[in-house]
Amino acid sequence: MGELSGYRGDALKFLKDAGASIGDVVELRTGWGTVSGTLVPRYLYGDGEHVVLKLKSGYNVGLSLSGVKDARVVSKGEKPSFAPLPPPKSAGGLPKVLILGTGGTIASRVDYRTGAVRPASTAAELHALVPELSGIARVQPEVVFEVFSENMAPAHWAKLARRAARGADEGFDGVVITHGTDTLGYTAAALSFALAGAPIPVILVGSQRSSDRPSSDAPLNLVAAVTVAATAHFSGVYVAMHLNESDDKVAFHRGTRVRKDHTSRRDAFESIGVPLAAVFGRDGLEFVAEGLPPRGGKFRPRPKFDPRVALLKFYPSMPAGAVRGASRLGARALVIEGTGLGHVSKEVAGELGRFVKAGGLAFMASQCIRGRVDLSVYDTGRDLLHAGVVPLGDMLPETALAKAMWVLGTGASGKRAKEMMAADVAGETTARTFPG
Amino acid sequence: MKERAGLLVGLEIHQQLAIPTKLFCACPPVKTEEFPYHFERRLRPSQSETGKLDPAAVFEYAKGRSNKYFWSPESSCLVEADEEPPHPMSGEGLEAALLVGAVLGSHLVDEVHVMRKIVIDGSNTGGFQRTAVLGLGGSFEVEGTTVGVQSVTLEEDAARILGEDSGSRHFALDRLGVALVEVALDPVIGEPELVGRVALHLGRLLRSTGRVARGLGTIRQDLNVSLSGGRVVEVKGVQKLNLLPRVVEYEGRRQSMLVQVAERLKREGTRKVRCSHRDVTGLLVATSSGVVKRAVAEGGAVYCIAARGLAGMLGWEPEPGVRLGKEVAEVARANSLGGVIHSDEFGKQGVSEEEREALASALGAGTADALILVAGRAETVERVVLLIEARLGEAASGVPAETRSATDAGETRYMRPRPGSQRMYPETDIEEVEITRAFRERVAAEAPEPWTTVVDMLQKQFALSRDLALKLYDSESAAEFRPLAARLKLEPSFIASALVDLPVRLEREGVPATRLGPDTLVSALEAVDAGKAAKEALPEIVRAAAEKNVSADEAVKLLGLAGLSEEEVSRVVREVVAKERPLISEKGEGAFSPLMGEVMKEVRGKADGSTVARLLRRELDRALGR
Repeated sequence: MGELSGYRGDALKFLKDAGASIGDVVELRTGWGTVSGTLVPRYLYGDGEHVVLKLKSGYNVGLSLSGVKDARVVSKGEKPSFAPLPPPKSAGGLPKVLILGTGGTIASRVDYRTGAVRPASTAAELHALVPELSGIARVQPEVVFEVFSENMAPAHWAKLARRAARGADEGFDGVVITHGTDTLGYTAAALSFALAGAPIPVILVGSQRSSDRPSSDAPLNLVAAVTVAATAHFSGVYVAMHLNESDDKVAFHRGTRVRKDHTSRRDAFESIGVPLAAVFGRDGLEFVAEGLPPRGGKFRPRPKFDPRVALLKFYPSMPAGAVRGASRLGARALVIEGTGLGHVSKEVAGELGRFVKAGGLAFMASQCIRGRVDLSVYDTGRDLLHAGVVPLGDMLPETALAKAMWVLGTGASGKRAKEMMAADVAGETTARTFPG
Repeated sequence: MKERAGLLVGLEIHQQLAIPTKLFCACPPVKTEEFPYHFERRLRPSQSETGKLDPAAVFEYAKGRSNKYFWSPESSCLVEADEEPPHPMSGEGLEAALLVGAVLGSHLVDEVHVMRKIVIDGSNTGGFQRTAVLGLGGSFEVEGTTVGVQSVTLEEDAARILGEDSGSRHFALDRLGVALVEVALDPVIGEPELVGRVALHLGRLLRSTGRVARGLGTIRQDLNVSLSGGRVVEVKGVQKLNLLPRVVEYEGRRQSMLVQVAERLKREGTRKVRCSHRDVTGLLVATSSGVVKRAVAEGGAVYCIAARGLAGMLGWEPEPGVRLGKEVAEVARANSLGGVIHSDEFGKQGVSEEEREALASALGAGTADALILVAGRAETVERVVLLIEARLGEAASGVPAETRSATDAGETRYMRPRPGSQRMYPETDIEEVEITRAFRERVAAEAPEPWTTVVDMLQKQFALSRDLALKLYDSESAAEFRPLAARLKLEPSFIASALVDLPVRLEREGVPATRLGPDTLVSALEAVDAGKAAKEALPEIVRAAAEKNVSADEAVKLLGLAGLSEEEVSRVVREVVAKERPLISEKGEGAFSPLMGEVMKEVRGKADGSTVARLLRRELDRALGR
């Protein structure tokens, strides 16, 4: 934070002239009286005409420069500082869990003096926010990078995968990754492939209400994630988020079958086409699905991704040029979100044929989200099959995108890549479809 | 009620605004009776800038106490459930609150910043209340006294508490998010009647804007009470205006008692009351104390606290009806524990002298020390014992800063310690709102007539008494009056009285208040105006309509009140006059009143008094040979 964070224009000049900085107690003389309070930062898009003071009562008020005669610094403030607490000590015999931070708001704190909300910037802070973790496991938190979920890219997936894989080598009983929720599903899918066969559980965890709020869902999600990472009998990559709107159960979703299906609810994440992997309640795991991979075994991570894959959602009137555009931007593979059973218009189908002929890979998933694609039912589907488009069964489009990047990242191409896409690596496709 | 020297009272009024939605979502601000959905949450203290967590709050959280929220789509959406970010602040709410600020002469801020005020008692699903200061300063006059305004704030209401069970508190979400304007006043001298008058005046000022809701529960008063510069006690939730003077008087008495206790302790050389405690369940197996027996029978525990130097002090009443012992019991009750007995009342509560001695020797207590038994569920008892010891630790320092609630009897009860500095930080989900000059001018143009002018007008134009005009102005049915007075043939004073006095009278007689709304009153007045029943029958019609939940017309039929024709009334009059010949001969003109009474009794409710008088006059004149 700069000395006058967020201020610009006339307000910035006015405050500079008065010698005021953020955190100072300032007195503003107006036409109707004086107002004194702590000078607080202004938001990024605030205008240049108002000065914001935090009154003694705790309220912020904005005063227009047009009504202010002069300003006086009453006392210089101390810079806000977040003193981290030493992480609580865990008992020696507890399992070891590696917690990887990626940024986002799962852990943040409030400076009540100026009102700033800060993400927990060190591992210790993150841990200190939920001190009861030390009763569950010997946790070792690390911040791998600080990136908003929407800025996450395949390079970040690779870095996370490598660190998690090393964690398994280092003898951790499990890995927990804190992650923003917007692209949590994509990262979960990507790690599911890169870490396929990992001997320990890798749990991605997010929160829909930031942890500066008393109502945050972060602590419970984190407690559930660490508990399962430390003690579950199964391995694999999962997403841990609230099961419903109450603070009583946390759902564990398979990394390749999970989707964010609501913009804001705590239970925004959903397992599509498969039962939940597990449910964590007040007394620990209440439900574990059958057939999850056990812990242990030999494991070779494949943490490489080729980002030259595009995900295209077909829509009525989509120009064929959209496919050409993706191709020109360097896409080696396309994942198409077709309508219904996996359809696109004649024009787009034709263009996909040309893309495949020129050496590209085209895969079909459905924008219906639920159910599987079938290119044999209608003529359009058969045309697509004929043109070399590969149907992906009930694979989720986002999972298909991550998988295609991973497949290409392994160095596979052509027929081999198509085979890898069609084969089940980490539970991303199922043979049987069930209601729900 | 007399003023107590040194008593200062700051009023805070929370008034619901009359707008069609809640403050931060499009839900209607309506009360819901049935809640098809519920969910359960736990609020966790969030970490402050110093990196510290409140240990007591963490302790509470760790114990697993939760909040259950009940809701209906009729009155709530995902915003109240803390499952969706708040929508932008209601423009109508902002305008209404600014208008209140303008009426109070408050200086409006140029940019409104919505804050989150941390509240973790469960009454807000987010763990904070959204609130924004709109105006600073201002003042108004009440009968020669200038009352200063500290601030005008726009905020959302909290969830309504429904009750609690052993593991959780239950709340309804219908009230959560309803727009309130809060007006905080400078302290005034704690003269009970003055405080009442200030509140009444402020209420009228708010109503003069025409933008505030009316009816039960739409206005709440909080009080900040302090004695001789001592610590401030916050009294929450005085719902009825007429309770204010009593609450002020009680709180003054209570604080005075605490000061006297502290002074007496200091005189006796106690600077701080020291306490010790132990589990004494085993010592009281044969007790005849009902409280203790019950706790033990339910598998609970009994602890005894020895408070050094407090003998005789817990039951001491330097002021009527208040004593330190009651304070201790309230701390326990605020934590859902009823079983507290102190040594000044051992005899009355069935604790024998032998038991007292056994307890005293177990705790090493002497004759100067007080003993307090705390009985109930073991874990609650352990917690409450520590809270009581903390409370007694403050006994030598006078009035503790705490939050209390007002009771229906005008007393106050302990709720919780007063929060330190209020924790607030910006509501980052809502952008600041600039109060532009155009907005300001629009609000100024809407400035209402002062309420005194309106009352004067009512009084003059409709020939109402001052009292009736004031009552009408304050009434929920005020809006109905003018159109009715213009439309109906009935006297305006009759209409006004029917709108304001009748519901009060009937409610006192046990008619459900919820059914005494303007609709029932208006339709009953219309029935009378149309000649379907006599004026005198109005109370009966309204009562029947309310009690049987039927329309006024149906009530008229049910009561058999269809009005008598003039001919029929005439016949009754003739019969009475014929019967009372001797009376007429004896009293002459003086017989009019008794005859009138007789006829009215016969036609009760089915004929109008003025018609009866006219016909009786004619018949009497005839009988007297005029």
